[in-house]
Amino acid sequence: MNWRKLNNVLHRDLGYLAAGLTLVYAISGVALNHRHQWNPSWKLDVEARSFAPIPVSDRDTMTAALVESLALPGPPKSSFRSAPHLVELFYEGWSVKADATAGTATVERPRGRFALREMNFLHLNEPKGIWTWAADVYAVILGFLAISGLFVLKGRNGLSGRGKWLAGLGVVLPLLALFFLLWRPGDSGPRGEGEGEGRGGGRPRGEARPEAGARG
Amino acid sequence: MKSPLRTPIAVLALAAFAAAPAFAATKYGKGVSEATPVKLSELMARPDDYVGKVVKVEGLITEVCAKRGCWINVAGDKEFQTIRIKVEDGVIVFPMTDKGKKVVAEGTFKKMELTKEQAIAKAKHECEEKGTKFDPASVTGPSTVYQIQGTGAVVE
Repeated sequence: MNWRKLNNVLHRDLGYLAAGLTLVYAISGVALNHRHQWNPSWKLDVEARSFAPIPVSDRDTMTAALVESLALPGPPKSSFRSAPHLVELFYEGWSVKADATAGTATVERPRGRFALREMNFLHLNEPKGIWTWAADVYAVILGFLAISGLFVLKGRNGLSGRGKWLAGLGVVLPLLALFFLLWRPGDSGPRGEGEGEGRGGGRPRGEARPEAGARG
Repeated sequence: MKSPLRTPIAVLALAAFAAAPAFAATKYGKGVSEATPVKLSELMARPDDYVGKVVKVEGLITEVCAKRGCWINVAGDKEFQTIRIKVEDGVIVFPMTDKGKKVVAEGTFKKMELTKEQAIAKAKHECEEKGTKFDPASVTGPSTVYQIQGTGAVVE
């Protein structure tokens, strides 16, 4: 078997092997890219309830009164007050937030988004341990597929033909993006060497401002 | 005919079963050290004594970042007190179902002096995360925020 045939066989079979996980990472990647707009793994079902206001007293008394007023299924696992009249009751996987004086409550039930929750679980390597190794192996396979893909065809449609232009474009586009995203007019020297705001290697465009650390 | 995939699939299923998380405490990030936890009331009473130090706290998770799972609020030994444990995005992701569970967390205690504009931006951002309406009048001036830059946690 010559090297190109071996390359193509490996490219084909590893491609089959990586197809499932590639889809998982691709779908999850799009979902995670927009996580500033939504929670890609969870959605919160919120139900508004009302009840006759109850007097502010100690937490246990208020908790018992709320369980009765809201017809909740027994005492909560735990409870908390962020203010004397604001009580939160925690059940397994859901919670109730009540304003005792206003007589309003919200029942919050987080639910994992169908399939996305699991895909993000893998993509973000939440399980750690053995999955770290599995993801590493997958990454190596992807790297191999990228390189072996360059050599699948020869001739006009191969790397020596149109392939070199398309592959070149694939390298140039991210480099151009980096150039425009990281460098500003007047930059001198590598990023991080200069002092001060804006020029001479200051922080790259779009990098978080210092106060962003105070945010979620 | 015996499928050539039968054995590999069985091995994968066994591996998945072995790797499945047990129904016990869940460790996030680096977990926690053997250090003695600091009471939240003590931390909040003398916060400047702890700024820059690594602290370990324990308590009840009262809130989880609804967008990215990148922070939790923890209530301690006294009522009406919580502290935020902020973790690096993506490194630790707290699921929303951790709300109401007991946690032991560790990290560096930080102090942030916010100008009024920064305090408004922070409050606005938090309202966006929770999906609630932001009232600019709720921020009356500059504020000081204490939080723990968390490196690890164990949730029961």
